[in-house]
Amino acid sequence: MRKLEFLIRRLLTSFLVLIGVSIITFALARIVPSNPAALYIGPRARPEDIERVSRELGLDKPITVQYIRYMKDVLHGDLGNSIATKRPVRQEISGRFPATLELLFTAMLLAVVIGVPLGVISAQWQGKWVDVIVRTSSIFGVSMPAFWLGLLVQIIFFRSLGWLPLSGRVDSDLRFTNPIEIITNFYLLDTILTHNWIAFKDVALHLVLPAFTLAAYPIGLIARMTRAAMIEVMGQDYIRSARAYGLPNRLIIYALALKNAIGPTLTVIGLTVAYSLTGAFFVEVIYNWPGLGLFTVHSLLNIDYPAIMGITLFGATGYIFINLIVDILQAWIDPRISLN
Amino acid sequence: MKHYKWYFLIIVLMALSVLLSACGKAETPTAAPPPTKEAQVAAPTEVSEAVTETEAPTEVSEVVETEAPVVPHVLKVANTANITTWDPVKSFSTEAAYMANIYEQLLRINPPDSAEQFTPLLAERWESNDDGTEWTFYLRKGVKFHDGEPMNADAVKASLEAAADHAGASFIWWALDHVEAIDDYTVKIYMTASSPVDLIASSLYGAWIISPKALQAATEDENYFEAGVDGGTGPFTIESYIPDQEIVLTRFDDYWGGWQDGQFDKVLIKIVPEAVTQQQMLEGGEVDLVTRIPQENYDDFRNKPDYDVIVEPSFFNYVGFFNTLRAPLDNTKVRQALSYAIPYDDIIKIGAYGLGTQSRGPVPAGVWPWSPDVKQYTYDLDKARELLAEAGFPDGGFTIKLTYASENATEEAFAPLIKDSFAQIGVDVEIEPMLFSQQWELSKSDPPNAQDMFLLLYWPTYSDAGSDNLWSMFHSSEYPFFNLSYWNNPEFDALVDDAIGLTVTDPQTSQEKYVEAMNLLVDEAPGVFFLDTQAIFIVPKYIHGFKYNLNYPFVHHFYYELTSEQ
Amino acid sequence: MAIESKTISLEVPVHGESPLKQMLGIIARDPLSLLSTVIIILFILMAIFAYQIAPYPEEGAGKTHATNTMLVPSQEHWLGTDRFGRDVLSRVIVGSRSALIVPIGVVVFAILIGAPLGAIAGYNGGWIDEVIMRVTDLFLAFPFLLLAMAITAALGRGLNHAALAMIISWWPWYTRLVRGVTISLKQRAFVEAARAVGVRDSVIILRHILPNIISPILVQATVDLGTVILAMGGLAFIGLGTQPPKPDWGLMISDGRSYILKQWWLSTFPGLAIFIVVLAFNLIGDTLRDIFDPRQYQ
Repeated sequence: MRKLEFLIRRLLTSFLVLIGVSIITFALARIVPSNPAALYIGPRARPEDIERVSRELGLDKPITVQYIRYMKDVLHGDLGNSIATKRPVRQEISGRFPATLELLFTAMLLAVVIGVPLGVISAQWQGKWVDVIVRTSSIFGVSMPAFWLGLLVQIIFFRSLGWLPLSGRVDSDLRFTNPIEIITNFYLLDTILTHNWIAFKDVALHLVLPAFTLAAYPIGLIARMTRAAMIEVMGQDYIRSARAYGLPNRLIIYALALKNAIGPTLTVIGLTVAYSLTGAFFVEVIYNWPGLGLFTVHSLLNIDYPAIMGITLFGATGYIFINLIVDILQAWIDPRISLN
Repeated sequence: MKHYKWYFLIIVLMALSVLLSACGKAETPTAAPPPTKEAQVAAPTEVSEAVTETEAPTEVSEVVETEAPVVPHVLKVANTANITTWDPVKSFSTEAAYMANIYEQLLRINPPDSAEQFTPLLAERWESNDDGTEWTFYLRKGVKFHDGEPMNADAVKASLEAAADHAGASFIWWALDHVEAIDDYTVKIYMTASSPVDLIASSLYGAWIISPKALQAATEDENYFEAGVDGGTGPFTIESYIPDQEIVLTRFDDYWGGWQDGQFDKVLIKIVPEAVTQQQMLEGGEVDLVTRIPQENYDDFRNKPDYDVIVEPSFFNYVGFFNTLRAPLDNTKVRQALSYAIPYDDIIKIGAYGLGTQSRGPVPAGVWPWSPDVKQYTYDLDKARELLAEAGFPDGGFTIKLTYASENATEEAFAPLIKDSFAQIGVDVEIEPMLFSQQWELSKSDPPNAQDMFLLLYWPTYSDAGSDNLWSMFHSSEYPFFNLSYWNNPEFDALVDDAIGLTVTDPQTSQEKYVEAMNLLVDEAPGVFFLDTQAIFIVPKYIHGFKYNLNYPFVHHFYYELTSEQ
Repeated sequence: MAIESKTISLEVPVHGESPLKQMLGIIARDPLSLLSTVIIILFILMAIFAYQIAPYPEEGAGKTHATNTMLVPSQEHWLGTDRFGRDVLSRVIVGSRSALIVPIGVVVFAILIGAPLGAIAGYNGGWIDEVIMRVTDLFLAFPFLLLAMAITAALGRGLNHAALAMIISWWPWYTRLVRGVTISLKQRAFVEAARAVGVRDSVIILRHILPNIISPILVQATVDLGTVILAMGGLAFIGLGTQPPKPDWGLMISDGRSYILKQWWLSTFPGLAIFIVVLAFNLIGDTLRDIFDPRQYQ
């Protein structure tokens, strides 16, 4: 009964927040200091065109009517047409999101694979010089502006060393020689599934720089958190007794301590996913990465307000939706925590 | 137990992304089977299903490739020009760079000093009556649109009527009376006033000949073209298009001009706004041609034996409008003083990276009716101070508000140079960058309270800067459009009106009147004429056939003219 | 970023020496934090006296110098000059006002808005709490930088609008923090005792709650500053923040991007400035967080 009550309450609040979010989004688009209709037609529009489009877009109606009209469209999956590309915003978002996700996942994977061991090593040698180096460099990673780091590594790895491609998601030639067959829209996965190894190598190389730039922040964060968690776990009684029993140090660290320290680290990873979403804006701009971040920046600069509304709504809805599902799942698994 | 939350978050994210990818995929139109490649070793059966269209789920793929395992001959280009619309009627912006390779006009105007003024495209020959009000075009036979429709008099009539009705540049047809299809391959154009229809019909905007089927589709669905569909007769057709990213053009096999060895099968265009990125792509061999690199670095290429660096005049110019409705800019002496206080050389050197020449009036060099007899201001601060004193502002002492389009990096560079120079004669400048659309809206909505100075990059819609630049920017009108100095001078109006009427019948008198009008303009100084820009091109030696056409500076390259060894 | 900040302790030692003194003591004992503090103070002084320090103050503000364009770093121009012949060092110094002082102002204003609301919500509970917290939910439902960017774009580009947008999307974090601390303090014996003997609410808030909220807020603010500086630098980088010809580190990085192949100094130095300042804030934040960590007091 309490589960059901919780579920209903949680759904209700999410619904209310969603309505609030949609109102804020809509209000944002209406404070644009420019006539939306004029923006829609573009430069060199004639007054009579602007008037016509104003009528078509319903801009002559009261603001509440406009809002209801917009929400009606949104509920039918219609976010309007982008001013810049003249195509449905929904299509633009769904077409670009996979590229952003692939970048995000690769960066997170890198962050875990690098950050966790760094944290463990740091904890193992707590207070020694290894620890100092890892701690310092992890703070370096967290303090580096992504839009600057990106430029630096481009100069080093493309310009000076010539090891890695400059920008983009895949080499231009590939589409004529080894076209990628789309299955999941994650190029790495698709090329593996189709055994398209030449394309795989190309895609992987293109991912390296942007993924590392994006990963700099989470690597530092995860290393720091893993270290803290490890140190705490290693001070606990069962680890001490394991040592007293004479178990090998390595076994204690990797089998016992890490297993128990991984929980708090996972929390950080989750939080970092959220942050990386925003870091992706700059990384995509610098690497000309064809994802949602690049589109967002273009839309913001051109006041492509239907696109801005669509993206903001999409982002916020995603956030709310995920939180809702996580909360509900958590309540199912461990009712004591959530239901109180 | 808190970490569960984030563990789930990740799972949910993954599930969501797979879901999204699936949605994305469902929206993808299926394409024809692609070329396979011998390089693909493993699993040939799976590969054969691979599709040429990739990233966005919205591309349109019209190619039908043969099964032959041939790598196409591809030209790779990095271009800054983005697509504001694929609609050939509405098109009035940077996409012209590609439109000119997909669509054709009746004729194309040649660069100045060519043997012939025009190259016939869809019209083989043409003639007009004496006063330039009736023009007859005899069309090329056997030309097909990309969608298979025949190109004929009806198609031309429909295209021109659509252009006059709702083109982005419909005003170029303001004097159009009607179009008559005499027979299948003869079209007669009736004008209400004497007009250079040969020039108008070769315009880069509002003069494309479009398949009637596509035109019809566009009337039913306003966004019909936007997915990357075309209905032209040109040598190339759109294979795929990813907004802000890339365009792939593929050759139209039935092109009336035919195809030769060495010409390109496909053109891959990367849309790259960053000049430095374009340079890196060029040097890294990722592309064959670029449209813009940082000016500081052109010299690097001048010294390389593998490249030609070509500098040519273009038909863009930069103009600054003074608000003549407001004190103290309503005073001619003040405007003249400010015109003397513009650091022309610095603006060209720093603002335009040295790629330009000081303007003579609002007509760019090389474009009709430009003339070396038009006067220029020099940079002379003493003279400026003197004029200000005469006007009653011995130490300046007023502030002017200057607006420019924030998306234009050159104007962004002008602004501080003007500010610093004006400061030396005691005039304070308040710089206000805005989006062009906002800047323009402000200037048109309430002129007396709008900006004091408006920076504008201008170009004639077709190769007649008399009826365009002079008329559009400085002829009086009831509502401001591009005449953003709100200037009203009956003498100037009369001279320009006369000159326009004489363009076809008596070019010499017409030009004399234009020169008189321009000198009047320079004297009265309702605006500042900064510079005519120059275009610069880097062409690798292995690309042959590059020809620059001043009349189409937006079209960096006509891909059909280019060849290379395969 | 907001993320890590949320993991810091809400529990603080109650009734000891003044929180500020306590924090300074902690910083003074850690050489790295001390160094960082000195660096930050120097940067702030530099920003305040920008026009006195800068070798070419007018160029710092935007004045051009057409005969001096793109000079490599030298004795006259330690960090070189830019496309307009302006001294890059002067631009970096003057740019610290919008890149460093404005973010500090943003955090201060966010606290001024967020903290009182949090205290009210936490102390009163009930429907007031409910309303305030639902409003924060609303703002926190947006990915943080996305909301700030959307607001800036809607208001129009520029430093003032970017700062306003940052405050609007940042205050809810302090509301949540302060609410949490207030609730935990309310349950403490000394507060309950004060309420039991009928001390007025306003007196309780001023005498017992407020002093104990200050240190978590200060710790939080220190940790957040690095993030806010990065975020505002990012806004300037994509062109939504400070508009030319005014200087700003993020904007200078973006302007220098076109010249990164040859005129490397244009982007490098402003980038370095952001990096150093953010690093300094993070080092202090790291130390403070370690000390104020709840586990230390168990």
